[in-house]
Amino acid sequence: MILETKQISKYFHEPDKHQVLNEISLQIASGELTSVYGESGSGKSTLLYILSTLDRDFEGRLHILDHDIKELSAAELTNFRNKHIGFVYQFHYLLPEFNVLQNIMLPAMKLGEKNKEEVKHEAIMLLKELGMQDFAKRPSYKLSGGQQQRVAIARALINDPLLIVADEPTGNLDQKNSDVIFDLLKEITTNKAKAVVIATHDPKIYQNSDKTIEMIDGSIRL
Amino acid sequence: MSKQVINTTNIFIAFQYLLARKKQSFLATIGVMLGVTTFIVMINFMTGVNDFLDDAVFNGSPDIIISAKQNKSSSKQGFGVGINSLERVEKIDHLLSKEENIQSFAHQIISPAILVSENAQLPGSINGILPSSEKRMVDLERRLIEGKGFDGLVEENAILLGISLAKKLQVSTGDQLKMILPNGKNMRLKVAGIFSFGITTIDNVRTYFPAQTLQNLLGQHDVITHVHIKLKDRDDVGLKTELSQQIETATIEDWKDANKTIVIGNKVRDILTWSVSFALLLVAGFGMYNILNITVIHKRKDIAVLKTIGYSAADIIFIFLVQSVIIGLLGALFGAGLSYVISYFISTTPLDTSDFIIVDTYPINFKLMYYALGIAFGILTTILAGYFPSKKASRVDPVTIIRGI
Repeated sequence: MILETKQISKYFHEPDKHQVLNEISLQIASGELTSVYGESGSGKSTLLYILSTLDRDFEGRLHILDHDIKELSAAELTNFRNKHIGFVYQFHYLLPEFNVLQNIMLPAMKLGEKNKEEVKHEAIMLLKELGMQDFAKRPSYKLSGGQQQRVAIARALINDPLLIVADEPTGNLDQKNSDVIFDLLKEITTNKAKAVVIATHDPKIYQNSDKTIEMIDGSIRL
Repeated sequence: MSKQVINTTNIFIAFQYLLARKKQSFLATIGVMLGVTTFIVMINFMTGVNDFLDDAVFNGSPDIIISAKQNKSSSKQGFGVGINSLERVEKIDHLLSKEENIQSFAHQIISPAILVSENAQLPGSINGILPSSEKRMVDLERRLIEGKGFDGLVEENAILLGISLAKKLQVSTGDQLKMILPNGKNMRLKVAGIFSFGITTIDNVRTYFPAQTLQNLLGQHDVITHVHIKLKDRDDVGLKTELSQQIETATIEDWKDANKTIVIGNKVRDILTWSVSFALLLVAGFGMYNILNITVIHKRKDIAVLKTIGYSAADIIFIFLVQSVIIGLLGALFGAGLSYVISYFISTTPLDTSDFIIVDTYPINFKLMYYALGIAFGILTTILAGYFPSKKASRVDPVTIIRGI
């Protein structure tokens, strides 16, 4: 098991105290594409931020790769996230100051396990797999939405993490590009034996996932 | 910290951010440059003036003057009686020779006199000196405009004049003068040299004349009116206090009493220099702070992304701080260069002689220390100004940012 939660609850305190997540317990295995779906406001994004360790302000337990996330120090958590978790957001979030290749290399340069040449080589290999090799030197803001999202996936993969978390990865794309991105994520799950968690309200995605988690008012229905 | 914050990747990111905002980076650099330039030029100029005045005044005047008290009863006795002598000069000499803080001391006979040239006659005073001991008090060679210095006083009728005095009398080296003393005696003098201390208060009145000739003319062969003292440490006031207690028959005045306006002027200039300089650096710092702050606000999304992909708060602080350090460094170096150029131009600008000081061009200091100080303060200001926005950047919460869309 890559990820396991035990009775995670979460409260918002603004404007009034109210419960967003209600005792969520779930397990995620490698080689599995899990989609979390539900209405907006159902708490799926909130759950995703907790699963991706960005938000540690919750009750209950979160274990990823046998680490109790709440027990890591801030610095340990940053390194842990850098090494083991890849992110894909709805709005691509590439850094506009850097070209495509540099964007992909950033997490690996931070990890510092490989030298620049090795990282560069791996980034180019990833771009090839995603059909983006011709765009390596292009400034990231000069790409279309679908292209940017492919680069974002490459960036999420560069440190070879076991867990990929995607928040509405197709939410901002047309149908054709959505299909491409989803196929890519599926391919990664099977071929690279990653655990992929996607928050979405696209029926086409959750109908084709290995596992779906439906969220209603902060609770899950498996 | 498990991973080092100072690494090429972080520096690379910082550079990319700077280059992405070329115009703002450039303006911030200009801001720092102008701040540092003004800082250095102000200090160069103000300390230049201060040093010039200090040099002129303190090398031209003794640090402590012991003079005979004005004795009213004797002056009432009428014209031609002579001048008051210091009492018990041997005792004073003996006292001074034992003091540690004394660099040198010399006797003078200062007598009122009227100087008459072909074109003018001026009431004034004559400083009778012993060239051998006065040499240790005043570096006249450096001040000499023409003729000879103290060596010229071997002739018993030779006199040295301050330049303003010489101009008023319309004489130059080699010309003749007549001196009339209070007792009616007069003598033909030859101008042996003309000097300038650069300060009108000295150059207007100061003369040097052989003490022995003066004593003979006055008919008072042992008369000494003043003892001049040069100190090793001018700010040590201990000696003045001690002398005041021991010698009751004389007036004792030190450089602070004699040059109150200059001492205060220097202080005012110092305060002005430092406050204006710091105000300017502060302004440059605020410019820097502003620009980085705006960047941080604009880049919140990017900072959030950097944090999610493994960049720690310390990395973020470093990335933003490097930007301000680079701007500070460039601004400070350019500022130092520009301030040298400006200082050079000021130092070659002719200055209309005022009533107070006599100098050809503006006095400017070119001390390396002030450039180092300007650069150091420039960089320090930008680091301080950059720290708070950097800290703010490091506190960006990725969840808030990503959720906020």
